[in-house]
Amino acid sequence: MANMKFYCDSERCIECNGCVTACKNENEVPWGVNRRRVVTIKDGEPGERSLSVACMHCTDAPCAAVCPVDCFYTTDDGVVLHDKDICIGCGYCFYACPFGAPQFPQTGAFGSRGKMDKCTFCNGGPEEDNSAAEYTKYGANRLAEGKLPLCAEMCATKALLAGDADVVSDVYRQRVVTRGMSTLDWGVQFKKGSLSGPGGLEGKVTK
Amino acid sequence: MSGIRSLSQLIFLMVFALSISCLWIPAQGVAAQADEAGLTQDGKVLNPGTDLWRAVRQRDGMPPMADTPTKGMDSNILINTYGEDWRQFRMDQLIPKAGMLIGGVLALIIVFHLIKGGLEIEGGRSGKYLLRFREFDRVLHWTVALIFIFLALTGLILLGGRSLLIPLIGKEAFSVIASASKEGHNLFGPLFIVGVIALFVRFISKNFLGKGDLGWILKAGGMFGGKHPTAGFFNMGEKIWFWMIIIVGLIVSATGLVLEFSFLGGDRELMELAMALHGIGATLLIVGAFGHIYMGVAGMKGSLESMTTGYVDLNWARQHHDQWAVQCEQEGKVLDKKPGVPAEVKAESAPGNPVTTR
Repeated sequence: MANMKFYCDSERCIECNGCVTACKNENEVPWGVNRRRVVTIKDGEPGERSLSVACMHCTDAPCAAVCPVDCFYTTDDGVVLHDKDICIGCGYCFYACPFGAPQFPQTGAFGSRGKMDKCTFCNGGPEEDNSAAEYTKYGANRLAEGKLPLCAEMCATKALLAGDADVVSDVYRQRVVTRGMSTLDWGVQFKKGSLSGPGGLEGKVTK
Repeated sequence: MSGIRSLSQLIFLMVFALSISCLWIPAQGVAAQADEAGLTQDGKVLNPGTDLWRAVRQRDGMPPMADTPTKGMDSNILINTYGEDWRQFRMDQLIPKAGMLIGGVLALIIVFHLIKGGLEIEGGRSGKYLLRFREFDRVLHWTVALIFIFLALTGLILLGGRSLLIPLIGKEAFSVIASASKEGHNLFGPLFIVGVIALFVRFISKNFLGKGDLGWILKAGGMFGGKHPTAGFFNMGEKIWFWMIIIVGLIVSATGLVLEFSFLGGDRELMELAMALHGIGATLLIVGAFGHIYMGVAGMKGSLESMTTGYVDLNWARQHHDQWAVQCEQEGKVLDKKPGVPAEVKAESAPGNPVTTR
């Protein structure tokens, strides 16, 4: 069985938010909820980088550990899913999650938290695969159709990778080998003038 | 000649000085440039990727320096740095330790009661009574008590239900109970705050440190034999319980409001801290309530009636609150019988028992 993971290549992400749009459209995500978001570090400064982030489907998921009603489960494909029929909307998963993935529609009394919603790796929920009930609660189940999550499939620069961890890391390793060290400091390199870094991640100044 | 010579010397000196300073200035310029380019002192080029991940992880005290067009709580923060700490506190500290403390205190009380039994009234009942709590006081006490017990039960269900109840009744049934507990906890929580404030206003005047209170503490309330230490209307144990309700109760109330009104904009760090304090405070209150309930119901005979009928036996008062008993006797407040007990009259005139009272 696969061990599904996302990886976002910060050297390729151009902050187009196409993944966010693809996710919202494919999964009919509730109003006020974004399962995926693009965060930009050092916006407008040298060294600016963007990362697309959603549920990372942790192997030791903190959300599942702290859930008071134990509504999380990990599928055979390593996807962390939850059962909205059991979720009580307490918000503990949001406190524990390193990535801010769990989202809450304000459907409870006085606008308090409704049932949690998060990225499903386009793998639906505990209902029957591709049933109407599953689609209403959790959105699409592309994995059941043999497809990968739409955010990664639609990424224009292929910055966002999704799939089995071995395959994703092979793709990324190949990229690092091919582009070498130089792209790691795009955006700051022009300031170095004649200073150049020969091979390896740490280079001696040649002058 | 010597003038020209000295002039040329001067020019040479000036040129020398200038050239030195010229060498000095570019050296400084290079150093500044090197800093900007991410060079260390020994001229190594830092991997700019480390800067990126340091910023992502907010390491070295770096403030969040990210932007996102997505609106939402903490959406511009990539890594929630305290999430794992909170998880470990909740799962490895709070739940097991609160469980051990609550279970341990309960077991201690049972063992204590089995060994010592309830404390009899010294000298038996006198048949004379003192009014201890007016109707308003009793209604206030039982209102807060019932709300507290409800909040404690629902809170414990949310805290420990996953490990204790799910194995017994399954996830689906527990989800219904937990959901009702959450809603009920949120509904009655604010009422508890009103109750705590009312308790504070009503009883603060009787809960300042008084004569003999320190002695009461040193003798542990006379729990381990010896003469019963002196006490006023409230003894030191009751005063500690009062101030615990006020201080810990208000901490639990404030953190509870933060957790309940999450949509008002509290961020995750505030929520994590609030939940930790709420759990610790609630555990202390539950343990304190065990002691309070034991003392009132079974620990000392004759205590419970002060909160049911409002009257206590004179000998009970002399035993446990001697200063207050003496004061009442001086003021002539000792009653020979409980005045007008409506419950007994009602029983006589109940349907099927045609005895009328005039």
